[in-house]
Parts: sequence; C-alpha cells; structure tokens
Amino acid sequence: MSWRGHYLDGRTAARRAASFRVVGATLEIATEDGATRRWPISEIRQTQGTYAGEPVRLERDCETVIVPDVGILTTLRLRAPRRRSRFHDPRRRRLRVPLTVAAGLAAAGLAVAFYLWGIPAGAGVAARFVPTAWEARLGDGVFERLFDPEERCADPRRQAAIDAIVARLVGRRGTPYDLRVTVVDTPQVNALALPGGRIVVFRGLLEATESPEMLAGVLAHEIQHVVRRHATRAIIQHASTGLMVAAVAGDVSAMLAFALEGARVVTALRYSRRAEDEADAGGLAMLVDAEIDPWAMVAFYARVLEPMDRAPDEGILRHLSTHPPTRDRVAALTALARERGGGVRPLLPGHDWEDVKRICGAG
Amino acid sequence: MYGGPQGIGVDGRVGTRARLTFHGRAGSLSGIHVVNVFLTLATLGIYYFRAKARVRAHLYGQMEFDGDRFAFHGTGLEMLLGFVKALVIFGIPFAFLRWGPALLVLEGLPALAMSFAAYWLVTVFIPIARVGSRRYRLGRTSWRGIRFSFRGSTWEYVRLFVTGSALTGLTLGLYYPVFATRSHAFMTRNSWVGSARFDFDGRGRDLYVAYLYAVLLTLPTLGLAWFWFSAARRRYFWNHTSIRGARFRCTITGGRLLRLRLANVLILALTLGLAWPLATVRNARFICRHLALDGDLDAASIRQDPREAAATGEGLLGFLEADLNLG
Repeated sequence: MSWRGHYLDGRTAARRAASFRVVGATLEIATEDGATRRWPISEIRQTQGTYAGEPVRLERDCETVIVPDVGILTTLRLRAPRRRSRFHDPRRRRLRVPLTVAAGLAAAGLAVAFYLWGIPAGAGVAARFVPTAWEARLGDGVFERLFDPEERCADPRRQAAIDAIVARLVGRRGTPYDLRVTVVDTPQVNALALPGGRIVVFRGLLEATESPEMLAGVLAHEIQHVVRRHATRAIIQHASTGLMVAAVAGDVSAMLAFALEGARVVTALRYSRRAEDEADAGGLAMLVDAEIDPWAMVAFYARVLEPMDRAPDEGILRHLSTHPPTRDRVAALTALARERGGGVRPLLPGHDWEDVKRICGAG
Repeated sequence: MYGGPQGIGVDGRVGTRARLTFHGRAGSLSGIHVVNVFLTLATLGIYYFRAKARVRAHLYGQMEFDGDRFAFHGTGLEMLLGFVKALVIFGIPFAFLRWGPALLVLEGLPALAMSFAAYWLVTVFIPIARVGSRRYRLGRTSWRGIRFSFRGSTWEYVRLFVTGSALTGLTLGLYYPVFATRSHAFMTRNSWVGSARFDFDGRGRDLYVAYLYAVLLTLPTLGLAWFWFSAARRRYFWNHTSIRGARFRCTITGGRLLRLRLANVLILALTLGLAWPLATVRNARFICRHLALDGDLDAASIRQDPREAAATGEGLLGFLEADLNLG
C-alpha cells in the first residue's frame, strides 16, 4: 500500500512531491527526483493529523513529510515496534466527544469543589505560614493610613478599662497577637479588626453599648477575626480565585477580566459572610470561657445592630452583602448561648460604664 | 516558483498571490480547551503551561500559507521554566518593591524610592518581555520545515521603548504614531524565516492623519473611531512589510474590525467567557481572510538557519499579562 504527499527536507522551503510505503519497520519516502529515504518508524514523531480535515504530519529530526490520507497512521501503528500510542488512531475519534464531555463535567465538578472547600481550606493552611509579624506590619500600615492620630481617643484611665476587658477575654491561654484596641472619634456604629491584632472601635458603637459585657461581645467577635487570620485568608483566597478563574477562562482579555473581577467580588463576599459566622460563634465561645454573660452579646446584636440592618434579608441582595443578615446571626447566637451558657462573673466591677464610654471626651 | 492563483499586486503589475487560510474550528479548539481546563485544575495549575503549548500548536497548525501549514514546536516545560525564570528575576523583586514598604512600615524617602524602582522595573521589563516572547515564539515556529527567528537586540528595544514612552508622555500622545511605527519596524526587520528577512518601509508620519482623526472623533463617536485607527495602522504596517521582494497586502477595515470585536465581546459576555475558543477562532479567521502576500517568493531560495531561543520572554509576558489583567 502506498500514499502520496510531500516531503520537506528541513534545509530549504521547497516542497517535493513524494510517495510513501511502509516496508517492515521503515517508512520509505520516494521523492520525484528519484531519491529514496528510509525512516525507522521508531524515530518518527507525529505532530499533526489528530483532527478531522488535518493532513498527517510526520517529523524526524528536521525533516518532515505531509500525508493527506490518515490511513497511513493505521499502518504505522501496526508496524511500530514499540510505543504505538505515538501515532493517533483515527478510529478513536468517535470517543472524543464523550471523553470531552466527561472531562467538562469533571472540570466543572472540580471547580465547584475548589470553590466550596478547596480554596477556603487551602487559604486556612497557607495563612498559618504567614508570620504574625508580617500581619502586624500590614495592619499597622493600614491603621496609620486610615486613622488620623487626632481621631484616636487616648484617655489612659478609660483605655485601661477597655484593655482589662481584652485581658479577661484572652485569659490565661493568651494569644500570639499583641491585641490593641483603639477607640476612634467617629459617630458610626461599627468596629473592625486589622490583621496582626489591631482592633478599632468607633465611638458610635461604644456609646451604643449598655454594659461592658456588650462591648466584650463585640471585642470577642473582632478578636476572632484576628486569631483566625480572616484578613490574611481573604487575601490568599482572592489571589487563588483569580488563578482558578484564569485557568477556566483561558487567555482572558482585559475586557473579559473586568467582567470576571465581578465574579471574584461575589466570591469574596461569600467567603466574608462565612468568616462573620465563624467570628460570631468563636466570639461567643470566648465569652463563655471567660465567664462573661453571652446574652449581653445577643442583646447587643438584637437591640442595636438588627434595627440598623436595612439590607433586605431576602432575594439577591442577601448575596451581595459582606455580612449575613443580623436576624440570622442573632438566631444562631441565641441557639449557641442556650447550648453553651454557664457560670458568669461580673466584668469590670467598680467601674462606671457610662464614664468609660466618655473616652473621647464627648459630654 | 510557488503555485498561488494569479492576481494583481499592489503596484498594478501582474504577479502571484499567496493567501493565508485558517482551517481551525471552534468545536475542536473547545474540546482541547475543556480537557486542558480539567487537567489544569486536577494538577493544581501545573498543566497550565502544557495546555498553553497545546492550544498554540493547534492554532498554528490550522494556519495555512501557500498550501502548507505552520507548526509550533514549543513545549509546556519550556514555558514553565520561562515562567519560573520570570518569577525569580522579575516577579519576586517587583513584589518586594511594590508591597515591601507596606510590610516594613517604611515611610518617606525609602518608600518613595522603592515605588519608583518598582515603576522602573515594570518600564524596563515590558520591552524585555515583548522581545523575549517574540524571540521564543518565532524560534519555535516553522513553515515548510524552515524555522522562523528573531534576531533583534533586547537592549536596543529597551532603549527604543523607554525613550518612545517618555516622548509619547511628554508630547501628550503626539509622538505615539512614530513610536508605534518604530517599535513595529524593529520587531519586523529583526524577524526572519530561515535565511529570508522581513523588511518594513513604513514611516510614522504617514499615520498622523488617521491618528488625528481618531483623537478628534473620540468624543463624538464614544471612542469607536479608534477601531478605524487600529485598522488603518494594521493595514499600513502590513502593506509596508515585505519579504524577498514579495509584499503583504492587508484589507482590514475599521467597520469589519468593529463588527468582529463587538460580536466577540457579546459572545464572551453571554457565555461568561466560556466561548473563548469561538472568539479565538473568529479572530484567527479574520486575520487570515484579510491578509495575503503579493509577488514571487522563491521558496527554494529560503534556507534553514537555526538559532536558539530561550523561553523566558514567553513566561515574562504571560506573567505580565496575568499581573495587569487579573490583579
């Protein structure tokens, strides 16, 4: 059996018509100028001809032959002394569609698994390798940039009361972090934790607390963000989702990258809501361990935070918030407090809470 | 001799014309892509480079010029090593300069000096990456068994790029057509296929009319005027590119380019990017449909002239792209 095609010698770009025969374990190439070349099949590589409509391209060192008829592959497979799979089997093309569909389903499954478990778990593990000193530097940098020294309320006596709450929460177990709480003179009812141990409480939130126990609940929540390294994990998660998206979408253009950024933000929010739930549960456990009344935390969420929660708790907007709906959080905390509630010792006995709340000098 | 159909060349003389044809289909590329995604995820990203090599080999193999298809010989391992090299000599120093000041809580002069150094690092590495990437890509491409090569000096292009960007900035963009043309001339004149060199005889000033139109019409056309400039630039660049006396001929127009790009954006947006194989095939088909070579190219006189090309540039460009596009 013989085939027709052409031969490229790899020295000039001239193409020469040729006919091919397989003799034993050799491919015989007869060009029109009368020359015959013999290629041992074991030295031939197939570089094209695996898709419909493609001619077969066979290479040996710098030389190439092009054969339009894929039938030659079947013969080469039969005669190849070893590693037959180097040559594509045209009969296997039928299998390509089902195999591709299977690979597609498996890829989708893997992507979902990474998204739901792999990335959060991986980020948790990776965050453990980030030195706390780096986190502290990062947090300090952000802190200095965000809050003017004039905004920070520095009243040593009242600050000592707040530090005592932190000391009680941390207890004898301690923490690798240098936890520093700063009250900032702004009216918002909010608090935030920076990586490395800095916690910022806004004056508005401090004034909304009715007891040291309520502030302890907020601080416990923020301390959980610090010790669980939520910020560091968020950074790692953000980077790895980007890589995964790039893997799925192939070579993305700038335009497409812009759209995908949206997908990443939604992902980040999902991870963020999970972090909030973790901090709530961990914070409540911290209160119980420190023998501080957990119901004060529940009360603070229910009485102060929930009425401020204007985000609709149904529909799409529920998925576009960094925090879960407060109503859900109160319900979860209530269940936990019932389950875990224990002995309670008073917090800051002998302190006038209304006086501590005036740390910023207001009133 | 080569056997293209008879046609009339740009200068009116009767000559032969060789066309580019793209045989690729979105179906085959999608199949490759799906399998690539699966293997990339399953190997936690290591397969990414092999995937890239496979896609490129497939695309080049679908492109036919004068009866023969191109071939890409690069491997995933080369690209992986290129990426690692880029990471070590560029990525890590850049990350240190960019985020170091925040981590070390540096303020004032040292922080400023580091941001400045990071800026310079990027300015110098964009041209290095472009040249390296072109060198690798051409060095691993062949047609009729003859390798392409890029022989331009990296530092010459760094100089051209740095002064060109600076002048473009200083003249508020007025220098851009000259810069773009010089940059293109450098890339073209240093490109070879075997012993045949590509030549470019365009001059930047010829692009000024199209450029000024685009600038003036940016607001009234909401920026769409730039498609016409982009088409004019491509036409001009190709029509002034020749090899051994045979000249390229490009028929891209602004309207066609706009239609192609709009349709591609829609396709990608509606499928959340999953249809990129279709968009890629459409792009390749578009370029091949609008490009031909007029004149006699004596293929037998083109001889092999193998040169080595390292894979670093490829990695660098991929790294930069990822950095710029994906944050």
